[in-house]
Amino acid sequence: MKDDVGGNQKRARFQAICQSLRPDLLRFAFWLSRDRALAEDVVQETMLRAWKAQDSLLDQSSAKPWFLTIIRREYARSFERKRFVTVDVDELIAKEEPMLAAAEEQDLAEIRAALFKLPDEYREPLVLQVLMGYSTAEIARELDLSGAAVLTRLFRARKQLRVLCGEDTSLDADE
Amino acid sequence: MMDCARYKNSILADPRDTDPELHEHRASCGACNQYTERLLRFESRLGRALRVDVPVPAAAAGVDAYAPVPAKAPFSGNVVSLRGKSPRRAAGARTYRKGWLAIAASVLLGFTVAGVLWLAAPGPSLAADVVTHMAEEPEAWRRTDVPVPETHLNQVLRESHLRLVSGAGMVSYANSCRFRGHQVPHLVIQTGSGPVTVMVLVHESASGPQPFDEHGYRGVIVPVAGHGSLAVLTRGGATDPAAILRIAARVLDSIVWTA
Repeated sequence: MKDDVGGNQKRARFQAICQSLRPDLLRFAFWLSRDRALAEDVVQETMLRAWKAQDSLLDQSSAKPWFLTIIRREYARSFERKRFVTVDVDELIAKEEPMLAAAEEQDLAEIRAALFKLPDEYREPLVLQVLMGYSTAEIARELDLSGAAVLTRLFRARKQLRVLCGEDTSLDADE
Repeated sequence: MMDCARYKNSILADPRDTDPELHEHRASCGACNQYTERLLRFESRLGRALRVDVPVPAAAAGVDAYAPVPAKAPFSGNVVSLRGKSPRRAAGARTYRKGWLAIAASVLLGFTVAGVLWLAAPGPSLAADVVTHMAEEPEAWRRTDVPVPETHLNQVLRESHLRLVSGAGMVSYANSCRFRGHQVPHLVIQTGSGPVTVMVLVHESASGPQPFDEHGYRGVIVPVAGHGSLAVLTRGGATDPAAILRIAARVLDSIVWTA
């Protein structure tokens, strides 16, 4: 009986965490993979793993980075399984067009398309910083990079993105 | 002493860097200040672009679909096989989950219908609640040229994970108010048309701009993609609705979301 109550509490706690984090986890997985269906699969697998390993989540406030780490691993595993060879960005953009264009402003759709064109190593830290609110140190920890390397990638990411979006970059600093 | 190139280099990597040296340079260099404002506007659009719509009902379905089967259930032990599974077993597991998803989806459909009916039931509108709240803080409507201390403003905004870049106008009042069960920023911005109240309603969604004119307050509630909505009010009805919409757009452009 006690076990049932404990199990229910555990389940409720897990559900509450998942429900609050899932939108951002899906967004993160989407920008990581640029593929909505794959993003949903990755998040599903992530939740399964998270449920099994939830005892290792001691502090509920660290749930978000914990889930993000699992998502990154799951996404890497999906590569092992599916063995993607090349990525045609234009095809990806065409495939995800309904999602990219589902914006109230045209320029948001343009930024989304430009994000698709950013190399992975620039897009990922940028998404972690802007969407997930990570600090440079947190990004460095998650991506296993030095702080300086993260800042360089973020600098290049914004610079490229602004060029792709037709922003005036004539006053930007050189690296 | 920091030069412009180093400043721009740092700010491009992290536009929200709070390093005092950066702040000092920006304050003393008009060109870098302008550059930063342009960059922050782009950053605000970037933040909104990243917040793609996600299927909310699926979220709930997902949790239930993956939540564990109770220990005594007949499928116990077979549901989640993650290590060393073959592609065929993986496919089987996925089909199984899809079955659960279908069941969860039908349950959700029921909840959705009930939710729609509940929402359609008469109740106080968001605009009415905003107007009621205004009556509780009359001192906020003073016309003044004294800005609220920046530290206080930042603290109020930080609680809702946002900040304002210049462009919205001078903020003369900032308070974190309890509204419909949540703490929300309540600001008063001094404009050419007089004081304008802004409430950032992160927890209240709106399907489109909702103008209102109630009890001597005229305003609009506009949706904010991924961040609920924004209410903008004027008092006395002297400001025309188009001007209120323009003020709302200006405020929205000045908001930088930090989470």
